[in-house]
Amino acid sequence: MNMQPVIEMRNVTKAYRGVPAVRNVSFTLLKGEIHALLGENGAGKSTLTKIMAGVVEASEGEMLHNGERVNFASPFEALQNGIAMVFQETSLVPSMTVAQNIYLGEEKFLNRLRGIYIAAQQFLQSLNFTVDPTATVASLGAAKRQMVEIARAVHHKADVIIFDEPTATLTPEEKRHFFALMKRLKASGVSIIFITHALEEALGHADRISILRDGELVDSGASADFDRDKVVRAMVGRSLTGEIYNRRRTTADLRKRGRQILSVRDVSMGSMVRNNSFSIFENQITGIFGLVGSGRTETFKVIAGIYKRDFLRGGEVVFNDKPVRYNVPVHAVRDGIIYVTEDRKLEGFFETMSIAENFHSGALAAGLTKSTFVSYAEMQEISAQWTKRLNVKAINDNARVVELSGGNQQKVVIGKGLAQKPKLVIFDEPTRGVDVGAIAEIHRFINELADQGLAVVVISSYLPEIMNLSDRILVCRQGRVVEEISPAEATEEKIMFAAVH
Amino acid sequence: MAGLQAAGIFRQGFWSQERIVLGLSALLFLVSAIALPGFAEPANLISIVRSVSVLGLLAVGMAIVIIGRGIDLAAVAIMAMSAAWYLQMLNDGWSEAAAFAIALAAVLAIGLVNGFLIAYADVPAIFATLASGSFVFGFVRSQLITQDAIPVPAGHWLEQLGGVRILDIPAEVFIFGGACFVAYLFLRFTKWGRYVYFMGDNLMAARNIGIPVRPMNMLRYVLSAVIALAAGLLTASSLHSMNTRIVNSTLLYDIILVVVIGGIGLSGGKGGMRNVIGGAILIGIMLNAMTIIDIPNIYQNLIKSTVLLIAIIVDSLLNPRDEQTAQQGDI
Repeated sequence: MNMQPVIEMRNVTKAYRGVPAVRNVSFTLLKGEIHALLGENGAGKSTLTKIMAGVVEASEGEMLHNGERVNFASPFEALQNGIAMVFQETSLVPSMTVAQNIYLGEEKFLNRLRGIYIAAQQFLQSLNFTVDPTATVASLGAAKRQMVEIARAVHHKADVIIFDEPTATLTPEEKRHFFALMKRLKASGVSIIFITHALEEALGHADRISILRDGELVDSGASADFDRDKVVRAMVGRSLTGEIYNRRRTTADLRKRGRQILSVRDVSMGSMVRNNSFSIFENQITGIFGLVGSGRTETFKVIAGIYKRDFLRGGEVVFNDKPVRYNVPVHAVRDGIIYVTEDRKLEGFFETMSIAENFHSGALAAGLTKSTFVSYAEMQEISAQWTKRLNVKAINDNARVVELSGGNQQKVVIGKGLAQKPKLVIFDEPTRGVDVGAIAEIHRFINELADQGLAVVVISSYLPEIMNLSDRILVCRQGRVVEEISPAEATEEKIMFAAVH
Repeated sequence: MAGLQAAGIFRQGFWSQERIVLGLSALLFLVSAIALPGFAEPANLISIVRSVSVLGLLAVGMAIVIIGRGIDLAAVAIMAMSAAWYLQMLNDGWSEAAAFAIALAAVLAIGLVNGFLIAYADVPAIFATLASGSFVFGFVRSQLITQDAIPVPAGHWLEQLGGVRILDIPAEVFIFGGACFVAYLFLRFTKWGRYVYFMGDNLMAARNIGIPVRPMNMLRYVLSAVIALAAGLLTASSLHSMNTRIVNSTLLYDIILVVVIGGIGLSGGKGGMRNVIGGAILIGIMLNAMTIIDIPNIYQNLIKSTVLLIAIIVDSLLNPRDEQTAQQGDI
């Protein structure tokens, strides 16, 4: 490896409204290395990389690119200098084809599609990407979209590619493919930065790791010098992994099933849920594992009344010994079923409103407030109660939810649901995009709920989470539950095998 | 933005659109009071408030719709045609009670149809209300009334209402004020009022936590239609007739102007009655000042649109949608 730094940042600071997101960070990226950037939500990872890619400007400090001082005013300028960034939300044009996206911005006055299709085909082949250049981007899955983004970056002769949480939306197979590709890029001399929440990815695939906490660089070094505990300690300032993911599970410490509260019989919805049957019990946590597209989210959205099951031959749902068919979520909520969404921004919280208003919205909609007239004293009371129970950290109750970190937003969404006094709680990916500290708190809280006798469902595609939280594990594949495994005898291989084969 | 921040004068978030509008109103008021003879006299000030009463009343209904994320382009048509038909029925010799009941029922029906199309048939609000507005105008004008302008029958209570003064202030000012107050109580202190905000902020989240979003959607359009009827009766009381040509005027855009300039974002979930009053006062002062200077109507439109554009641009400069406010998650 060549030891010459491609990018060197010296004492960089970026402040938003006087609040520093990145403080006095000095960072180097070497030629041909894979560099993982770790940190909790709000630690400043994205901001730091956005400064490199010219998306935001640093308030203080300087940046050197190949030894020269640079100051990019726009992402375009950064790209021309060989620094490309692949964002969390992909920046492709969905209605255009793959080839058009790769050559976006360099069309001639008369654009010959056939020409760029052939060029794109050759180019993609040279990268060993199996993407059809004539397919529209909208028709591609997350992994292939990422390939297109990478192809575009390579096409612009980028020598630095920055990935912002590249693996968050990928399935395990796609992840493997992605890391193989990173290795190939590295071999051709490209330097790569990737931001991630999954510590194993950083430890397993990066050459070097840098860890940010509260906007400051707290540790940086070769990944061989790190292990899980050391990384987590650096990220949160204390050791946590043991707490979260290394519980030993034996049959003895699994919770015994309580009363059967939900029975799903032969439920179908379109092509996503097919003749699905299973039961959920009180007093324990049922973990649902499945790959993306296995119909797990859809199944539980049917149960919560968000989707409607097929009218004919849609099967039967029995909740609390009563057959139910919910057309809208309000009836499910009144019966005591709540669904805590996997996409909190899209359908979880009210972003322009305060934490207090969010908590209150749950109680109000469930008819649990004292009267139809809104009492602001009652709102503060409910809010204070849930802020304390969930340990939501914010400047004050009037902070808007959109200003919170991912972990605190998730807590608000959870609290909003639990303020509705449910009997069955469905958590869909409760720790997606949540930092390590908050994961531990959310896990502890989910366990508390089951201890109190509630029926809890946790849907997750993260195996260690499923294995450590669940008292029984259901595995989904192609729209139905295909296997039940006890965590006492489950291994990651066993669960994965059931989910794939 | 970095420059402004460094200067430190413009603390971000302080200059919300609401405050800008209030500041502009105060400035405009001062300049007009000094420069225009007769502007600051009590009689003129009362006429300012009076002139925006109907506009403001319509804006109250529009605000309720917009806060819940929607728009009601049928408001002006409902206002003019319901009042005109009511007057027509009175002139045709119907009893007061029957005429009023029928007009009210018709208005409720239109509101329900709008709400049904939007909530249950998933027609975008802008198309549903545009179509129903045209239908209402066309149907009432061609089938139910005989001429463009329908006079208020002599001695009718509407005629008397137009002359009522309390402390020298015309009754419609109190009606506008009262409507604002009731709407304020509704939005802030009732469950359904809160639902309007939740739905405007995030419709899917609102549905998921168990808010009956479709009935709530219908309620908003029904409220807007009923408020439009009230505004129509108010217009008739002050002008002693209802001229249906008003449907083809720029009144509809003035309503939206009042709502938007007051600071109620079209994306929903934000603002309240304070914004409506602020917007109405600014527009009232502006229109009055322009009338005193004797600016022709076409130029008045030009000035109104420019002010609206400036307000929006200033707002987006002072409250930028940077990645801090525009998206959740990582800094």
